[in-house]
Amino acid sequence: MSSVRAIAERPDALPSGGLRAAMRRSAPFWMIAPSLAFTIFVIGYPVYDLVQTSLHDVNRFGQLRGFVGTEHFATLFADPLFWSSLVRTLIWTVGVVLGTILVSVPVALILNDDFAGRGVARVIIMLPWAISLTMTAIVWRWTLNGQAGMLNATLFELGLIDQPVEWLATAGAAFPIEIAIGILVSIPFTTTVFLGGLASVPEDIYEAARLDGATAWQRFRHLTLPLIRPFVNIAIVLNIIYVFNSFPIIWVLTQGGPANSTDILVTYLYKLAFRFGKLGEASAVSLAMFAVLLAFTLVYAWMLMRKEANAP
Amino acid sequence: MIERYRGLAGVLSVAMLAATSSAFAATEVRVVVSEYSSQTGAIFEGMAKDFEAANPDIDIKIEVVNWDNLEQKLTTDIAGGTAPDISIIGTRWLAGYVKEGIAEPLDGYMTPEFKAKFIEAFMAPSVFDGKIMGLPVAASARAMYYNKTLFEKAGIAQPPATWDALKADAAKIKALGGDVYGFGIQGKEIETDAYWYYALWTHGGDLLVDGKSGIASDAGVQAANLYKSFIDEGLTQPGVTNYSRENMQDLFKQGRIGILLTGPWLRGMMKTEAPNVSYGVAPIPEGTTKATYGVTDSIMMFSSSEVKDAAWKFLEQAAFSDKWRTEFTVKEGFLPVTQAEAAAPELAGDPELKGFLDMLPYAKFAPTIANWEEIADTTSSALQKVYLGEADARTALGEAAAKVDSLLAE
Amino acid sequence: MSTRARKSILYWLLLTPLMVVILFPYAVMLSTAIKPAAEVMRFPPSWLGSRIELGNFLEMWTKTGFGRALANSLYVSAMATLLCLVVAIPAAYAMARFRFAGQGWYRQFLLITQMLSPIVLVIGIFRLMALLGLVDQLNSLVLTYAAFNLAFSIWMLQSYFATIPIEVEEAAYIDGASWLQSLTRIFLPLALPALAVTAILSFIFGWNEFVLALTTLRSSEKYTLTLKVFDLVGGRYSVEWHIVMAATLLATLPVAVIFAWLQRYLIRGLALAAVK
Repeated sequence: MSSVRAIAERPDALPSGGLRAAMRRSAPFWMIAPSLAFTIFVIGYPVYDLVQTSLHDVNRFGQLRGFVGTEHFATLFADPLFWSSLVRTLIWTVGVVLGTILVSVPVALILNDDFAGRGVARVIIMLPWAISLTMTAIVWRWTLNGQAGMLNATLFELGLIDQPVEWLATAGAAFPIEIAIGILVSIPFTTTVFLGGLASVPEDIYEAARLDGATAWQRFRHLTLPLIRPFVNIAIVLNIIYVFNSFPIIWVLTQGGPANSTDILVTYLYKLAFRFGKLGEASAVSLAMFAVLLAFTLVYAWMLMRKEANAP
Repeated sequence: MIERYRGLAGVLSVAMLAATSSAFAATEVRVVVSEYSSQTGAIFEGMAKDFEAANPDIDIKIEVVNWDNLEQKLTTDIAGGTAPDISIIGTRWLAGYVKEGIAEPLDGYMTPEFKAKFIEAFMAPSVFDGKIMGLPVAASARAMYYNKTLFEKAGIAQPPATWDALKADAAKIKALGGDVYGFGIQGKEIETDAYWYYALWTHGGDLLVDGKSGIASDAGVQAANLYKSFIDEGLTQPGVTNYSRENMQDLFKQGRIGILLTGPWLRGMMKTEAPNVSYGVAPIPEGTTKATYGVTDSIMMFSSSEVKDAAWKFLEQAAFSDKWRTEFTVKEGFLPVTQAEAAAPELAGDPELKGFLDMLPYAKFAPTIANWEEIADTTSSALQKVYLGEADARTALGEAAAKVDSLLAE
Repeated sequence: MSTRARKSILYWLLLTPLMVVILFPYAVMLSTAIKPAAEVMRFPPSWLGSRIELGNFLEMWTKTGFGRALANSLYVSAMATLLCLVVAIPAAYAMARFRFAGQGWYRQFLLITQMLSPIVLVIGIFRLMALLGLVDQLNSLVLTYAAFNLAFSIWMLQSYFATIPIEVEEAAYIDGASWLQSLTRIFLPLALPALAVTAILSFIFGWNEFVLALTTLRSSEKYTLTLKVFDLVGGRYSVEWHIVMAATLLATLPVAVIFAWLQRYLIRGLALAAVK
């Protein structure tokens, strides 16, 4: 009599021949088939469409004309705005993800410990998750309004300024603010993942470490961190993907301005596609973005694997 | 799985068909309308109701879209083969539509009487190669708004007629102290470039000279330096690159700004939102010549439409009936585009509106070029660099002009 | 003072700066939403208006069709979550319980789909929806949201499924339950925490999504909440901030309540889905 375990662990152990066995062997394929078909249909077709568009002369309404090969990519790579947007995208992604991790680790450590009002604290930290990014950005645009915004109102009332400050007038102020908002909205997800990781760490090893006289920092460095490292890695990879593709914050606050100084690849892409009607180049940007992200993720995965291989 | 969703889509479309065919109407005309104010939807629904009462076999479906999304929505609609039958569009986009054969020429539908309804100046931008590709639906020219209370306090008797006078007046308003600013300059988002065209044109420059960009001409550099001098001398609000058109208008509504250049719609807002601010309207100040910016939005028919006759009927009988034209123009605060509107008592008797209409002979329109939006964006970016002091006017505009030239050559 | 009390004070002090920044926008929303319209733009700005104007909420509700947008957002998020789970559960089960040819490829495939975001594919997606006749249909969002959540959901569920001992199913199997019975009656109830977490995350995605809604929806009675609020701000000649803030504040409440209610569940679910 075969059991589920047998199917799971030793599919080769099943007697060959017979309809039942054949069905069992194909069972996992039937189980993944819907997801595969569904994804290929809803995501795969648009990707195919994207590749087609990037290789053809195309009008602003997406009607394909002649095949032009890599011409759109050449135009793109000759555009200084593409390169400056790419660099800014990297700054944006690294800034937001790094900032998020640096804030979320201590926050998660605190929220994992037992203290008065922890439930309330957890709910407050999760709050940014409850508003959509677009709405958050709209609220901040209003908050940062130079004349009537509440940030200046507060600074006035505290006597810190006597003239309105236009927070979004220059990239020097606007871009760091956008990164800070990016961090703020990424904290809930990241903290939740870390809390999940911390909750899976068994209590008793801390007791043992404490008895051995390890300091709080040593316990964190040598016990907690290695144990939640998989969670940190997951959070980093997912955040990189989300932040790299994140559109509403910058779009709502500055639309990439002034003078393209806060443009990242997604805002550049959006303008190319929907403002300027250059669908061919826009498709090329999409594919370039995908390539960068893929490279990013592969390098990261490779670094992790190397680290694990080197670990004792 | 795929089949299942095809099936779902099928069921949905059958349901939709059933819903429409069970109703009285047989022909559906989809009309996309840009949202000028919260009243726009109601005005067009009113037209549709009137029209459907007279034509029970035609069903008019109004879709109201805001300006920020309109171009993107139409682009994706056309790309996806789901274009509406008629739509309001910025006339500056029409060139691209005509080039791709998406716009239907309207001459064949028009009677001579219908054609004669329009004010020539506003029809002109929608004519391509002698063919009428769109009908002007909303028109504006820009003028100078000034705050009478601030002018009085600063001892200014007359609204400035020249840029020199304007600068002197702005200095006087600044000298009042407090939280008021002399001359408002827009430096963010839609129409940042247009705000500077006023200065470019009145200094004798033009956007296109012999098919090339004219923004880096002496007139252009002068105009940009003029605005920069307002910024450097503190005669405008600080942080201009954070002021969109809407932000500038908010300042004016608060009575915090002496002089602002903008369109007729602000009058309607002042009436409802800032009834206590006393203001006047005067022509755009002169440099070496007179000019203003004329802008029209057009209503166009898609060549892909399968119900063109019904769609035209709607335009002729409802949208461009004298009654609804007047209603629209009065409520939205635009300039009349037909003779009948201009003669209507609500509009003919309005002295402020006369101020706008008097400027029409000097009105310049944005050139109808297929990739105008990108050219405008390039210009705006160059101006922002100048306003921020990141580049001097000649360099920034020179670089922008070179890019515009290459865009024109595409 | 006891250690716990001292610790609590220290922790709250440490968390305060972050909480101030998090709560600041909420305070802004509230402050603006209850100001009389005429005072919203007043300079210098202040936190409190001359009186509390609750009528703004009423004005917002009638002017914007907020209730309809709320219903649309709920429908899209809930249906997309349901569809996503229905497709993801068998796939995650296969990944957790079977070793099969191409499993590695399938895993890579999922990771790659995770990297594509709606905005990058928006044109192609729109054309697909046009092909299916789903433009301006809420169901188009149900399909796309489910698809974009699938990879993450499968991965979440799979790591949790792997922690459920196989003996549980075996026992039921030996007791004569069919494989399907053991799956639905024994296995899935055990996986409930993971299902809940996955559902919440998927729901939030739908609740927050902007670009696809912006592209596929046409008529304003189909708008989702996010789109409705953006519509009040984008490309307007004038923005009525008191209305916008009343709308954002109200739009935030449902999810905030869900969080307050489920956050413990959320963390436990994640903890048990020990990531491999």
